[in-house]
Amino acid sequence: MIDKTKKELEIRFPLLKLVREMHNYLHVEVEKASAMDAILMAKTSLGFKTLQLISSVDRMEENLFQMTWILENYNNETTLLISARYPRENCIVPSLSDIWPAASAFEREIFEMFGISFPGNPREGEDFLLEGWKDIPPMRRDFLTEEYSMKLYGERQPREHLDPRQYIGDMVGEWNTPMGQKRKEEK
Amino acid sequence: MSKKHIDEIEKQMKLANAGLPEKEQGLFENTRPTTVDAFNKYYEGFLNWARSRSLWMLAFGTGCGATELRPLMTSRYDMSRYGIAPRPTPRQASVFVVGGYASIKTIKRIVRSYEQMQGPKYVIALGSCTINGGMYYDSYNTINRLDYYIPVDVYIAGCMPRPEALIAGFKRLKEKIRAGECEGMNDYVEKFDWYKENQKQIIKDWNMPDYNW
Repeated sequence: MIDKTKKELEIRFPLLKLVREMHNYLHVEVEKASAMDAILMAKTSLGFKTLQLISSVDRMEENLFQMTWILENYNNETTLLISARYPRENCIVPSLSDIWPAASAFEREIFEMFGISFPGNPREGEDFLLEGWKDIPPMRRDFLTEEYSMKLYGERQPREHLDPRQYIGDMVGEWNTPMGQKRKEEK
Repeated sequence: MSKKHIDEIEKQMKLANAGLPEKEQGLFENTRPTTVDAFNKYYEGFLNWARSRSLWMLAFGTGCGATELRPLMTSRYDMSRYGIAPRPTPRQASVFVVGGYASIKTIKRIVRSYEQMQGPKYVIALGSCTINGGMYYDSYNTINRLDYYIPVDVYIAGCMPRPEALIAGFKRLKEKIRAGECEGMNDYVEKFDWYKENQKQIIKDWNMPDYNW
């Protein structure tokens, strides 16, 4: 099932990298210039008509964002993941919202969480989850969430000791069995 | 004092509603809330007895802890045995149960709903998230302590507390109401500026009136 998809993608995109393959699952990585072509080809000629999710990973060490589009073909129950890497500074990724209207919501969320902009999305920049967020986008890895939380919402006072032996003493663990009692007497 | 001074002081006493667009500022009230004095000892005692026996709860599930309210409402734990009934709007409710973690988007609605409730009103906060942040203590989008933003009468610890713990919490609230200790509403009015300052510190896009009622 997935072999045919793989073969056709390889003919069209010779620079394609295979990430993972299973009997009904294929994850490929393409050049960023041909990502939209690959998605359109998957939709029109390979039958992956449903967009399940758009996700993004912050690869800070390589100064890249890895975008992944997850497509589903319900006729033969196969999943295709198409990834592409985009530079991290002023990241711009083409929008899919005129092909799949549902993509608009995913793209708004990614814009809010990572700051990746999708020109062509009619609702870009509208509030999705964070209303009035003014800091750097929170899912970027250079955003320090604990520090931010301490600063804005106040510190929490942790419990001093978590060792139960201190509170219930001999009742705990090894001493509570007959063998444990015997060992304790020997000591 | 001249009339000019009095006008100036009156202007300061009023709420600015600065978050609203200029067109809408006149549409909302700008007077501050006022404290409510107790009646004489015996009459207030009778009223407190009556209040504690008919708690109308705002059924607004604000966090994951609200899942524990469903078994509490329905036949398994049946809270109507204790005189507690769920109400659909804040205008009809007297107890606000904040269920667990409150994100910034939710705390905006919590503040609005709390202010819209008619007095006397009480707040129960359940779950460890409302006490010290719980497992979301380092999250960028959830608050760590609820009583910086609205006054809380009873906390119920746990992650999440079982319906039995909730019943115990409601029982404790009833005892407090009977004893006349639930002064959260007056406390909110007295420290109004402090609460507003805290709320505006975390709600970055303040686009509602300063006091909603």
